[in-house]
Amino acid sequence: MIQKNLLFHKVFFLVLMMTLAGATVSNNSYAVEPEEFLKDQKQELRARDISKNVRCLVCQNQSIDESSASLAKDLRIIIRNKITEGFTDKEIYKFLTDRYGDFILLKPPLKVSTVILWALPFILFFIALFVLYRHNKKSKLR
Amino acid sequence: MRKYFLSAPLIIFFCMMLVFFYFLIVKRDPSELPSVLINQKTPMFETTTLFDNKPFIFEEESGQQVLVVNFFATWCIPCREEHPYISKLSKEKNITVIGVNYKDDSQKTIQWLNELGNPYSKVAVDSNGRIGLDWGVYGLPETFIVNENNIILYKQVGPITNEKYDDFIMHIEDSIK
Repeated sequence: MIQKNLLFHKVFFLVLMMTLAGATVSNNSYAVEPEEFLKDQKQELRARDISKNVRCLVCQNQSIDESSASLAKDLRIIIRNKITEGFTDKEIYKFLTDRYGDFILLKPPLKVSTVILWALPFILFFIALFVLYRHNKKSKLR
Repeated sequence: MRKYFLSAPLIIFFCMMLVFFYFLIVKRDPSELPSVLINQKTPMFETTTLFDNKPFIFEEESGQQVLVVNFFATWCIPCREEHPYISKLSKEKNITVIGVNYKDDSQKTIQWLNELGNPYSKVAVDSNGRIGLDWGVYGLPETFIVNENNIILYKQVGPITNEKYDDFIMHIEDSIK
């Protein structure tokens, strides 16, 4: 019985490790093609960082960094052109949102219309803390 | 009261579930995104025309009447499906349809229009997709209604089909008023 239990633990541990390893590896896929790379490595890294935060509008849950859609490629090239022309990150994001709206950003910006989105986790966290505190107090009294 | 308060997280959780469930069952197309260009000035552009390769300056075409600007391509299958309705639209009174040929082969497009008929008053060439990008185009076909003050009033993403035709005409009539 004990041995069986040990075997179960071993298998469980192995599956867990494989899942975690898989999760770290699969995040590395990207669609940037060799001819798109900028010569300046610093600029290329900036382009990659921006691309990771820009949504591909054709396949909506992928960033343009991961998507091989033709619009994603166009956007990657435009971002790189803008970087070599000396645009700042902020100006590049503005260029994109002026045309496609905030939806093109994978991380929604903090605005009046999105305040609830950003504040809700904190509000829920404090409610949970408060509930926990009240609950503890009550059980101590008992 | 205290007991009621303790169940707050559960209530909030169920409210959120209800909201998610509502969005799951409600009839909507997640690929249709609201355009930020609605009620904004049209992006201006200069390019060439498809048939005679002459300069095409959008500013010269717009500003006199309500325009319908249709982004299309021969490689886009829904564009072919939409074509009869664009033709029908072009025959309506007071409607001028301008085509923008998006990332396409010009020779193929000329052939395509000769075969199916050319409903456009002019066809502008957008060979690298830059005009489309300025107009916020992300999936063909896309059709814009532009009023005489060069303001985009409506955008239809996806083909204008039989079901959508009357609705589209209504939007044009609204912009003429």
